[in-house]
Amino acid sequence: MTALIGSGVDRVDGPAKVRGAAPYPTDVTYPQLAHAALVRSTIASGRVIAINDHDARATAGVLTVITHETAPTLTPAPFGLLGPAPPPPLQDDHIHHHGQYVAVVVAATAHEADVAARLVKVEYEGGDPPLLDFDDPRSALEATPWDTATQRGDVEAGLAEADVIHEATYTTADNTNNPLGLFATVAAWEGDIVTVHDATQWPAYTQATIAEVFGIEPAAVHVRSPYVGGAFGAGLFVWQHVILAVLAARAVGRPVKLVLTRPQMFTGVGHRPSSVQSIRMGARRDGELVAIEHVSTNSASIKHASIEPISGATARSYACANVATTDQQRRLNIPLPGSMRGPGHAQGNFALESAIDELAYALGLDPLELRLRNFAAVHPQSGLPWSSNALGECYTVGAERFGWSRRDPEPGSMREGHWKIGYGLAAISWSWWQVRCQARATITRDGRAHVCSAASDPGTGTRTVMRQVAGERLGLPLNDVRFELGDSEMPWAPASGGSSLTASLGNAVHAACEALVRRFLDVVADDDRSPLRGCSLDDVRVAEGRIHRRDDPSDGEHYTDILARHGLNELTVDAEATPPSQENAELARSGPFAAKFVEVRVDEDLGLIRVARITTAIDAGRILNEKTARSQIVGGTIGGIGQALLEETITDPGTGRITNATFGDYLIPVNADTPDIDVFFVGRPDPLTPLGAKGLGEIGLVGIAAAIANGVHHATGRRIRSIPITLDRLL
Amino acid sequence: MAATLISLTASVNGVLYELGVAGRDTLLDVLRERLALTGTKKGCDQGACGACTVLVDGRRVLSCLMLAAQCDGCEVTTIEGLGSEAQLHPLQSAFVRHDALQCGYCTPGQIMSAVALLDEGRAGSDDEIREFMSGNLCRCGAYPNIVAAIRDVAGR
Repeated sequence: MTALIGSGVDRVDGPAKVRGAAPYPTDVTYPQLAHAALVRSTIASGRVIAINDHDARATAGVLTVITHETAPTLTPAPFGLLGPAPPPPLQDDHIHHHGQYVAVVVAATAHEADVAARLVKVEYEGGDPPLLDFDDPRSALEATPWDTATQRGDVEAGLAEADVIHEATYTTADNTNNPLGLFATVAAWEGDIVTVHDATQWPAYTQATIAEVFGIEPAAVHVRSPYVGGAFGAGLFVWQHVILAVLAARAVGRPVKLVLTRPQMFTGVGHRPSSVQSIRMGARRDGELVAIEHVSTNSASIKHASIEPISGATARSYACANVATTDQQRRLNIPLPGSMRGPGHAQGNFALESAIDELAYALGLDPLELRLRNFAAVHPQSGLPWSSNALGECYTVGAERFGWSRRDPEPGSMREGHWKIGYGLAAISWSWWQVRCQARATITRDGRAHVCSAASDPGTGTRTVMRQVAGERLGLPLNDVRFELGDSEMPWAPASGGSSLTASLGNAVHAACEALVRRFLDVVADDDRSPLRGCSLDDVRVAEGRIHRRDDPSDGEHYTDILARHGLNELTVDAEATPPSQENAELARSGPFAAKFVEVRVDEDLGLIRVARITTAIDAGRILNEKTARSQIVGGTIGGIGQALLEETITDPGTGRITNATFGDYLIPVNADTPDIDVFFVGRPDPLTPLGAKGLGEIGLVGIAAAIANGVHHATGRRIRSIPITLDRLL
Repeated sequence: MAATLISLTASVNGVLYELGVAGRDTLLDVLRERLALTGTKKGCDQGACGACTVLVDGRRVLSCLMLAAQCDGCEVTTIEGLGSEAQLHPLQSAFVRHDALQCGYCTPGQIMSAVALLDEGRAGSDDEIREFMSGNLCRCGAYPNIVAAIRDVAGR
């Protein structure tokens, strides 16, 4: 049998998706379904002093209006993947940002709920002007909670030894996740049990949160999210609308559907916060880095905590003896940031990799050469050898495929007609992140396997990849394996986030399949009629629906034979995989690495910027599905083009209202913005886990912004230290 | 207060429907809420994302911007009317083969747009496909694979 793991099999949920038959939360319906609509604050700071819902309640179809005056007391939710949860909604009269929910209206139809929501009259007391600006002296500048700072050596001493010092400030704009799928929650109570259909990237966490917030047992909460219309981090949190849908359904005694509008997707499900980052770095004449200092400040909610680890990756990116990184935040009257694909890294890498490029020019070195000379052969913070690190190969293979050697280092020297051409480069050292995960594997009398875990597949390909892993580990063809996810009643799984799920879940599926084979061997341990009698796991292999002796493939039997002979309908096991510990480790746990090469073209008269082509060379360990892995990197790359050139959530400086909260005004890349994208995988399976996979959900995005900015500099001689790089900045 | 209903006769995926619709009802909402054809997606409800693309008399339209009442006497085709589980439309299978989708939410709109694009004769080059598919946003970033799938079916 050909190997399943690694081969580029088609996405298994593709046929359902291309027929429009995959049910997203927005598509879920119930008999007697009621609909909820949200009322949002029209001020950014102050208090609600009165709410008049008389007209709303008198509107046709309206079932109830819930405000802070009528909402029950709710318990704050537990911590999530990146720290604290959003606060429970409607708990007091304080307004912390424009767009904060102040009421939810429930009616028989969505239209009736919408109409009534507009009739809720809210009176506010504004007080001082809201804090909206990084430079507002009234705003608090605080260390990021749960200290993300890193330190080694002595930066000042390092700088004192430097022949060349580069110092600059870089800024990045607010970005909004904007998955195409509107976030929606459908909640249906049946007695004390609630079923919640939601666009979550983490069903188990949504279940735990709803239980905690409403003070009920987790077993009384059933979360379903088989299909999620994209999320890019927005689904890692249980946002207030989810709680409100559950609350509304309980209040009206009917199932309730709450679908966010596109403008609400800008204020209610998180975003990538803006940043201001200062970098100081020094090098000797030969390019040896002797000091890097990276201080980031990001925007944060005035009241509620969030974490944006912006500068941390800098510490492990280069072999440099003296490094200090610090993250701090500016508390403002803005919607609560969340996580957006490559949180922190996406901003931090732009600053670091722009600065490295600038330093290369200051030293008169090729930017690729400077990076090669400072390659971290061991983990620079721990000093341990990497468990796997093919960044060097990413550089060389990527440069070769891209044609980096054709680059004339002189800025503005390459052109074609009226297009100025620039080549830019950036490198990425992504973090290691894996968590414990559970899976269940079953083989039934008909010889088919069913494997499941409460994971999520928001477009990543998890469903497909895990079926491949299970098929290979059980020796079954793909068609005989079913893999299901997206249901909190399945064994516990972590979030589809932090580029961690494929590795974490893959190891759990691997463990479950191995345990299942062992279970079959247990059954025949004393079975005289079995050729596998007395065999241990090490003695056997699986192939073509059979377990056979390792040394003699003809000596074995089918799963179905064992089940039939022993009168069993099925065998099933649950298993858990835990990630490798760093305690007493001899190897540093390695995340993925990548090098990105970009050709940028800038119109010399109009300032128009086009990305002509991108080459990404990536070490993500073992690639489990070549096709879906490539799609992840291509998709991330396009997100990176958005971050670099288009995306900026704009807040009105007076009112705090987001002024471009539509797809007409907040620009994301379209098909015509997309260049030829070459993705090439290098490296080898990471030896610390049985599958050897490293994550690749986010590394596709990170680095594109710096590579484009560096390309723009090479094309034009203009160094733009602020993204997005819009054409007005080049005129 | 019951709104005055407008009577509407339209063929949707070859099935004739006689409906009473409110003047404000969009084609998108009628398809999704009344006819339970939820394959057509709502991504913005503002005519800016293309997720709700359907064919009306063979032309691609944004069903969130079209009033249902405008469809009287029209032939509407949605993703459900394109291919069956047993026999996918060539574009549907090409989308699967080329991995031209990730989360899948924009996919029905992309495919309906692509069907019209081929009819319009706008698949002559990759650049042409890119340009004339740019009304359909994909946040997952499946664009290059979408171009490949359309190119494949266009037989280039």
